[in-house]
Order: sequence, then C-alpha cells, then structure tokens
Amino acid sequence: MTFQEIVLELQDFWSKQGCAVVQPYDLEKGAGTFNPATFFGALTSAPARYAYIEPCRRPADGRYGENPNRLGKYYQFQVIMKPVPAGITDTYQKSLKAIGLDPKKHDLRWIEDDWESPTLGASGVGWEVWLDGMEITQFTYFQQMGSMPLSPVSVELTYGLERIAMYLQNKNSVYDLDYGGGLTYGDLHKPQERELSRYSFETADVALLSRHFNEWEAEGVRLAGFGDPIPAYDCVVRASHLFNTLEARGAISVTERAHYIGRIRNLARKVMELYIEKNTPKEPAAAK
Amino acid sequence: MAKKIKQNDFLLDIHTEPFPARFVPPALDQLKLNAAKWLAGKIDHGDIAVSGTLRHLVLTVKGVAAKGNDKTERFKGPKVGAPAPALEGFARKYGLDPAALIPDNGVLYAEVHTKGESASALFSAMIPELMKSLQFPKFMTWEESGFKFGRPLRAITAMLGDKVVPVTVAGVKSGRSVHGHPVLAKQPVLLKDPAKHAAVLRQGLVIADPAERREYLLKCLAQATKSTGGVTEPDEALIDETVFMVEHPVPVLGKLRDAHMVLPAELLKLVMKKQLKFFPVVTKDGLLHPFFVGVRDGLSSGNELVREGYQRVLEARFNDAAFFVGRDSASTLASKLPQLERVTYQKALGSMAQKAARVESIAAWIGERLRQTAHVDEQAVARAAKLVYADLVTDVVKEFPELQGHMGGVYARKDGESEKVALAVEQFYFPVAAKSPAPTTAEGAVVSLSGKLDSLAGCFAAGMIPTGSADPYALRRQALGAVRIVLEKQLPLDLDAAIAHAISLQPVAVPEPAKLAAQLSEFVWGRAQSLFEEMNFAVDEVRSIQSGALSNLPNAFLRLAALRAVRRDPAFEPLAAAFKRASNILKQAKISDSAPPERALLRDQADYDLYDALVAAEGSANDRIVRGDFEGGLKTLVSVKPHLDQFFEKVMVMVDDEALKKQRLALLSKLVRAFRRVADLSEIQASAS
Repeated sequence: MTFQEIVLELQDFWSKQGCAVVQPYDLEKGAGTFNPATFFGALTSAPARYAYIEPCRRPADGRYGENPNRLGKYYQFQVIMKPVPAGITDTYQKSLKAIGLDPKKHDLRWIEDDWESPTLGASGVGWEVWLDGMEITQFTYFQQMGSMPLSPVSVELTYGLERIAMYLQNKNSVYDLDYGGGLTYGDLHKPQERELSRYSFETADVALLSRHFNEWEAEGVRLAGFGDPIPAYDCVVRASHLFNTLEARGAISVTERAHYIGRIRNLARKVMELYIEKNTPKEPAAAK
Repeated sequence: MAKKIKQNDFLLDIHTEPFPARFVPPALDQLKLNAAKWLAGKIDHGDIAVSGTLRHLVLTVKGVAAKGNDKTERFKGPKVGAPAPALEGFARKYGLDPAALIPDNGVLYAEVHTKGESASALFSAMIPELMKSLQFPKFMTWEESGFKFGRPLRAITAMLGDKVVPVTVAGVKSGRSVHGHPVLAKQPVLLKDPAKHAAVLRQGLVIADPAERREYLLKCLAQATKSTGGVTEPDEALIDETVFMVEHPVPVLGKLRDAHMVLPAELLKLVMKKQLKFFPVVTKDGLLHPFFVGVRDGLSSGNELVREGYQRVLEARFNDAAFFVGRDSASTLASKLPQLERVTYQKALGSMAQKAARVESIAAWIGERLRQTAHVDEQAVARAAKLVYADLVTDVVKEFPELQGHMGGVYARKDGESEKVALAVEQFYFPVAAKSPAPTTAEGAVVSLSGKLDSLAGCFAAGMIPTGSADPYALRRQALGAVRIVLEKQLPLDLDAAIAHAISLQPVAVPEPAKLAAQLSEFVWGRAQSLFEEMNFAVDEVRSIQSGALSNLPNAFLRLAALRAVRRDPAFEPLAAAFKRASNILKQAKISDSAPPERALLRDQADYDLYDALVAAEGSANDRIVRGDFEGGLKTLVSVKPHLDQFFEKVMVMVDDEALKKQRLALLSKLVRAFRRVADLSEIQASAS
C-alpha cells in the first residue's frame, strides 16, 4: 500500500463514519490540532466530525534528511469527533484493518499518554496506541481548551502516517517509502528536509522572527478587538510557528520560553472566549 | 421460627477502555474496601473479593441475603403535654397516630420501622455510589452526563444470582454480557451464573485474577528464555506493570543484533524497559545477553510477525541511541564543560558550571581534612569533581535522565580518564535509593558527598527548606545519602564543619550563616537519627549520643553500639538513673562546667572512694576510647557505679559548707563529662518492667 493509498483509505473509512473530510489548513503549524476544524470544532456544544491530513512543521526535529526516522516536516492524519461515538476504540481498530493492519495478527497496546499543548492551554487524557511496540496513533479525549473544561468532550485520533507506512512497506528509512505516483517519500521530501533544517538551525533571521512574533501577537490582540475570532486565530497559529522556529534556532532561553508560551496562550484564550461567545446560541431573556 | 434464607452471589464487572497500569491496583483495593463499608449493617453477606485487569474492575460478594436488614429509627418530637396540633403534626410526618408516640424522659419520640429493601434494590443503589467513590490519579469525562472516572466506561455487568441488577451509570445500562479481549474474543457472552464469570473471561482470553496473571507471566518468561540459557532480568516494577498492561500475557522472545551489543549495557536495558516495556535477558551473572522478551497481549500463535515488529522497533530505538552515543563521543567530557554555563541549576544558585565549581571546592576541602586519616587520592578527587556534571549536556542523558552519572563514567573511560576518576563520576549520584549501594571508592565517596552537601547548603541558603511532607528537591534523600556515605565509608569527617563550609560557598546572601548551618546540621541529623532507628537502636539511645555525633559519624555509630552492648548489663539502668540524678543536681546548681575537683578538699570516705574510682576509670576508659574501643571504655566507666551509689547514700551534695559543695559538684561534673564522651546517660529511659 503506497503512502497516498493509506491516506485515501483513511479518508474513505472516516468519511463512511460520517466525518466531513476537510483539507489541510493553509498556515504553518506544529500539529493537526491547530487546524480550525479541531481547534474551533472542539470548543462549542455543536457536533463536530472531521477527518483530514495535515502537514506539520517541527523545526527542532529536522535532521537535514539524514535520520531515517525523524523529520522536520511530516504528515498527520487527524480525526475529531464530538460527541464521542459509542465504541470509538473498536471503530479505530477497524480503521487499522482497512489500511492492512489486522489487529488480530499484531500486538495492539494502549499505553497511557496524556496530551498537552501549553500554547493552547489544552490538555486531554488518552493513549499512545502501540502496534508491536511501535507508536502508530495518539488517541485523546480532550478535556480542556484555553484552560476551560470542555463539554461535550471531543475525541481526537492522530495517525502517524510515516510510521504506519514504514511498517506496511517494510522500510527502514522514511525516505524509501513508496509515496505513489512513481515517487518515493525521499523524492518529495529530502531536499526540503535538508534546506529547512539549515533554515531552522542556521540561517533563520532571529531578529526578523522575533519582530514578527511580536507583531503577530499584537495583531491578534487588535483583531480580537473587532470581535472576529477567525483572523485573530490565524495570528495565534503564526506566532506559535514563529516561536517553534526561534526555539529550534536556539534563540530562546529557558526563562524566556515560559514567557513566550504564556503570551501565545493568552492570545489563544482570548480567541477561544470570543469564538464561544459568538457561537453559543443565546438563551432568550427570561420574562420578568 | 427458623426461616430458610435464600442467598445469592453478587457480581459487578466494570468494563472500561484501557486503564493505565498504575490506576488498577489502588482502584481494586478501594472497590473492596468501599463495598464492605457501604454494605455494613445494610444487608447480610459473605466474602467480598476483587479481581481485575486494565479493562475490568470486578467485585464479587458471596452469600447475599434476599433482603436488607429491617431498620428501626427514632425521631425526637415535642415535649410530653405539648398542644394537640403540634403532636398531631409531628405524628403525621411519620405516618403515625399521636397515641403511638413514645414518651422518654419527658419527650415524645416517633419510632419508625422500615422493612429491609430487596437485595437487588440495595445493590442498584450501591453500584453508582461505589463507582463515584473510586479515586483515580487523574479523572476524565467523555460523555454528556459529565460522569468522572479514570477511563471511559464501556459496559457494566451486574448480577445478583441469575438476575441482572438494573442500573445506569454515565449512559451505560447494566446487563449480563461479558466482554472478553477486545480484539481476540468473539461476541460478548451472556452470563447466566455469576460464578462462571472468571471462566467466561478466561475463554475470552482475559485472566481476571492479578495473582494468577502474575504467576502465568512469570512462568511464561521462564519458558521463553529457557533456550537462551539466560533469564529475564529481575525487575519487580516492570513485572507489576506488565501484569496490569496485558490481560493474557504471551511472551515473544527476540534477539538483539551484535552491532548493538557494543552500546553501554545500561543504556540498552533502559531502552528496552522504559521505551518498549521489554524484559532484557541476562546471564546468571547479570550480564546482558543478546535477547529480550516482549509480552504480547493475547494469542500465542502467529507470533513471528509480532517478533519481527518488536525487533524492528527495537532496532530503530537502538539506532537512535547509537546516534546519540556517537554524537556524545565526538568530543571529550572535559570539552563539554563550558556548556554547563548555559544550564541553570536553580535560579538563585546559578548555573551547573557554578555548581560544579562549588562541588570541586568542597571536595578539595574534604580531601584536605581527610589527608591524615584516610587514603584518598586527592588528584583523582579533583579530576572527578570537575567532570561529574559534564554528562548532563550529553544527548544520551538528555534522552534518559536516569543514566546521569552512569554515562559520565562510560564517557570518562572512553576519554582515557583513570578508572578511579571514571568510577567516581559513574557513582556520583549513589546511593540512588534508600537501600542501594553507596559509592565504592573513597574518591567516589568524597565527590558524591560534596555534591550532596552543595545541594543541601544551596537549597537551605536559598530558602528552599523542606516542610512537613513537602520536599520538592528531595533534600531528605540527599541528606540520607550524605549520612550513609560518611558512615559506610567510615570517613572521620566533621560534617558540621563541612556543612558550614558548603554554606559559605553559596552565591546567595545568608544573614546568619551560623544559624543556617545549625539548622542544616539538625536536618542532616534527623536523617542519621532515622537511619540509626532503622538499625534497631532505641530512640533514647540515639538521643544520648546526639551531642557531637555529626562531627564524627563513624564514632557516633561505635558509641551507639557500645551503649547497646553495655545496656544489657543489669547494673546499667540503675546507673543511668543515678547519672540522671547527678545531671539534675548540676542543672539545679546551674553548673555546666567547673574546675576539676581537688581530692584534698573533699571530706568523707564516700567522696574519696568516688574520686579515686573515677580517676582510675577515666584514665583506663580514655585509653580504650582513643583506640576506638567505646564499649570497653563505657564498661570501665560503669564500674564506678557502686561508688556513686555509696556517694549518694552517704553524703549530701548541697551542704552549707560552700567550699565542700563546690568540690562535690565538681566531682559530679567530672563524672558526667567522662560519660558524655560515649553517651549522655541522662537521656536513657528506664525500660518498663
């Protein structure tokens, strides 16, 4: 099964489970959770069912294309469902079968792993799912966003596509994966890994990134003032990626780090509150 | 009339999504305890038992009566003779006629008899309360009702005899279906008899009883390793965890590649255990064998695929580890030292580089103090002290903090440092636990002790002093480590002075250094005290040697041992009582120290006898004490007892003759001081007889 076939199978599978298959968001981000389908989708009481592939950038994980298991830019396949359908763990197991991983033939284990995103003030309870010892999915019941308890709770499934593909194709290097269309994953990604690693670790302009961080943060606050959470949220996503790049570049000390995270979290909270306020149906005022 | 009571067994199986292993044993304990508490007095029943896995919490109650106990309750009402409307109102509230109210001591009571509820109704009420009563390390919600539990609830099997106990919790309705292994079991089985529950689960590849699962796991591990000639490394924590990570353990033996066996064995083991929950295989001598056992949850057939998967994952992890070791080895430990300047130790206490400099200085100070009495290679101490923190900036230790120290030793050897230095670096954090070994060499002991003293002094100076049970910087462990090192390595080191020195080096302003040093000494003494008590020394014995103990802990131990040995002598406790009397007299006379008594100025025979006996005993005791023979010294001193008894019997200390009084007080003072070199006997409590 090629890389793209795995993605297509998962899209098909979750589409049949009633999910809207949406597209990746058009900004740089570190995790599929930043896609508004999940970020905003988890916030209100309205039902949410989405599935999508999301390219993720983790500047600090770049290895110049030399490490067969680590990438500075890779893909996640993400599913979010709210309310949580009954038997979701069974459904997930079926999705594995759909991509050629029959749980009956493998050792499938659920290992405690609670997820946390300090920049979003978000946390959840859940597992890493291990297939024969390899982590293939992060399975999380969201509990909080912007440090506020969520109700109803959403479940988020994040498939590690490259690992699953390496397993299925019996490859020891991510770059040898058969992507589909006659290409390897390396054909598509190796040059980018090399150059982006150099950017993240060596050539990124720290002064410019710091300035942009400050500007996007300020812009986010300004936009929130107009009562439109969506453009303000874009500022959160941008600031968050700028922070990740600055950190990979070694430009943030331990004490500064907490400060940067706090600033993003504050903005994210503002955006969340605004979104909830705007999207919660108003109760008609009680008659006096 | 004897009535035959029909009894039933109750079964509750709370089936959830997978709990973390650490959640389950405490939950099972609570389930049993809280059920017993809830049922007490409400209904007659037999044995309560629990069992469970990461997906099942199972409670059984044997021999449950058909009905709950009848109940009589009394409610206080109006006074006797209260107006009729008040009486009627009160009686009506309990469905009684006013005439049925019972007078007692001038007050009327309503007595209400309630028939016991049916057992089924009682258990229906118990289940949700029991589930709510379970405390988990972390709670979560997952469905609309907002019910909080450790993991999402999937099903409730609740039966009393062959009937379902109806209940709904978090949107889940109870029933009789039993859910086996989530992947391997066929459809849920409808249970008819609660007694068959464990057998049904077993058919569904779930061994519900933890003890049975553990035994099965151990048998499996032994079988799996048989062909290798080795055994799985004994690791109780990993075994306990595995028991609650799988419902039906199946061992899968895998092999390590030779290429990986060149990596440090501790690193390989940690990767296997921590990252993958695999059991490393070791030889009878504890050396790493090129095998591991992974424990699969489920079937024992078709394991070839699983083995391949395990080996492949392990391969990737080992490659990562090898990559880290390679990067770390590209430069020497010494060349990494400047990087410590960028690692913060504590905000108030500076960088790790600054801490390293302090440790170096303390180690040199201690080396100098021990120069006369112990064989310590001061050069090796200095070199090791310089290198101890260098491994903190290595990739391996960043990835596996547990390997701090160990990797330092590995890299030091690679760099060509002497074995003495490498070992001291390797064992810098020893003892890592209360019962684990202290550093083996004198050099290692000095460096390790210096590190601990600096941490203690630093935290105390910066005001991070443990209070109550809060000890976020594990200072109690550090203090215990320091005490154990000094004791076990027999270092004749003045810890009080070393503490004061360590405090003087801290980069924070300490307004009253002497006071802080005394406070830290007391803290360290607290650990020594509990260590001695753990060695079965009595509390009063430990207290009696406290004075000056930290200035020479090995001697303090010998003094304690002497005291315990001599205490068996029947003459000892009366002596201690007489000694206490002497101390009290001195205390009342406000004599803490005095010029030595002069024999010529004494008066009675009892004075002279005590004086002579004391002078003789003191001289001979002193010879013994100097040689470290505290027991002999103490025994010699105890020999003055008859003379002390005579003294108290025959003469008065507080006589009007001022000169004589002074001499007698001086004589007692001499006696007290002589004993205190071993122990302050006034602390000894008479044993109850």
